[in-house]
Amino acid sequence: MARYGMVLDYKNCINCKACEVACKEENGILLGADKHRIWVGANDVAGEWPLLDIVSATFMPSQCQHCDDAPCQSVCPTNATYYDENSVVRVDPDKCILCSYCMNACPYDARYVDDRTVTVDKCNFCTDTRIVRGETTTACQNTCPTKVRTFGDLDDPESEISELLRTREHFSLKAHLGTKPKLYYLT
Amino acid sequence: MSETTITADAVHEQSFIDKAKEFVFTIPVNKVTIKDLLGFEKTPRNNFIAVLTLAFIAMFVVGVAIYLSQGHHAYNVTREHPWGLLIAVYIFFVVSSTGLCIVGSLGDVFGFKDYELISKRAIFGSIVTILAGFAVIAFEIGHPVTMMIYNVLSPGLTSAIWWMGTLYGIYLTFMIIEFIFLLKNDMKMAKIFGLSGLLVGLAAHSNLGSVFGFLNARPISNGVFYPTYFILTAFITGIFIAFIIMGIRYKNVFPEAVKTMLTGLAKIQALLLSILIFFVTWKMLTDIYGGMPNRADVALHILGSWTFWAEVILAMVIPLIVILKDFGKSHVLLVWVSLAGMVGIFFMRYNLVHDTQLKPLQMMKIREYQLAPEWIHYFPSGTEIMISLGGVGLCIAMYYLGTKLFNLDSNH
Repeated sequence: MARYGMVLDYKNCINCKACEVACKEENGILLGADKHRIWVGANDVAGEWPLLDIVSATFMPSQCQHCDDAPCQSVCPTNATYYDENSVVRVDPDKCILCSYCMNACPYDARYVDDRTVTVDKCNFCTDTRIVRGETTTACQNTCPTKVRTFGDLDDPESEISELLRTREHFSLKAHLGTKPKLYYLT
Repeated sequence: MSETTITADAVHEQSFIDKAKEFVFTIPVNKVTIKDLLGFEKTPRNNFIAVLTLAFIAMFVVGVAIYLSQGHHAYNVTREHPWGLLIAVYIFFVVSSTGLCIVGSLGDVFGFKDYELISKRAIFGSIVTILAGFAVIAFEIGHPVTMMIYNVLSPGLTSAIWWMGTLYGIYLTFMIIEFIFLLKNDMKMAKIFGLSGLLVGLAAHSNLGSVFGFLNARPISNGVFYPTYFILTAFITGIFIAFIIMGIRYKNVFPEAVKTMLTGLAKIQALLLSILIFFVTWKMLTDIYGGMPNRADVALHILGSWTFWAEVILAMVIPLIVILKDFGKSHVLLVWVSLAGMVGIFFMRYNLVHDTQLKPLQMMKIREYQLAPEWIHYFPSGTEIMISLGGVGLCIAMYYLGTKLFNLDSNH
């Protein structure tokens, strides 16, 4: 029983997209631009040469925020979206009816339709691929060349993620919506 | 002793089954042959409606066949815009159903004598429209059979969709039972089931509004507006359809009693439309005021879309002007205005669904050579349009069948 979360030192991101590739490879995500569990958002440089606003060029790796109070879970009519024993927000494809309400309710656009099961799919912190076989990292974390991501147990005070959250300033995306995300961005 | 109880139980059970059988077999139904169905008066207008209905049903069959072979790829729905035309059309039908239920209840539940002569038609219309809505949504929900199973086995009680769907199921049952009692002229039981159906229908319908109202991530839809607005617009839709139904029934030549009823309905409609215009104006003003991101920009975008103005002009402005012109006495004109009003109501539903999803939730570009997303674009695919028109075809066909099978005129 853990409470898994992830810390992202997003300013280290170089937009190499290795995390996107590793996620697709590890979890067997279908090819195609719309079929993704995780992504790197990019802001282009604003301004005209030579007055370029270089701080505007940011990369924001993102994915399902595994909210403690997830709107996608509340709106699911059949409880196909559920919290597993490690507080990971997951989808049971057997119960999913593809009403797409969760896709509309998720403030982070973190869900898409898997064409094989014809149900909604999303990041599950590699629970059924890596964590189940005893790994302690997710595929995206493991492959990141600049160590943007740190995955771990938020309830374990000794974990690296807890240490980072104690010692570094951080924020969450759209925290004002009260979703209590378990993804933290270091400033 | 126990043997006696078992026997008594068996007798009781038998008598219940007998009563149920008797209840069903005594429903007054006319015998209808194919010849009767084809025996309508061959006027150009009737022929046109017949051909159109058949064409729509054919489109439904083709659309469903394409959907069954290609799944949601046959639709233009995307990750960013997962709800498309079929959701809008489903809402269009269930709004019509709730509206007709309200109109039907005026006479047989609330006892307004003037409106009793439309009760049976309106209640039958409410059954037909919700069935058409279910027929359309069955091909939008990815797994309708799974839905029926897990709605019961693993209900999501915090989900507005669960409440909406479940309550609509109960509502349909009450409406059917009420209709049977109306056919049997048992007004007391019709009133009991009519009131139950109306209350459940209103609850279901406001829950449908809350499907949008609960979307905290979408400030343009979030809040109390939609759950209440849905009830108001349902009543308005019900009155539009009441005019159309009566126009068809009496071929626009109305007896005096019908004229009195239609004038009454028109006056109610004028009040409801005024309230609606008031609501929509304040919704837009509060959305825009202060320039709140994700709300003000979306509202301004909506004001610039022609579909919004189609809704305003066809469903609000024109009907209100025509009614106020002579306080609802131009009945024939109002039938045509109501037909245009239903087109406006369709746009109202389409706008509601599309506008909710206008603003992308991810504002950064996520692939190379992509522009940062500004607005989500959507236009329905041919398959979506075919299934939607098919819903209209099914609705007309079921209603026509009903006019042959049942006596839908008032017994009084």
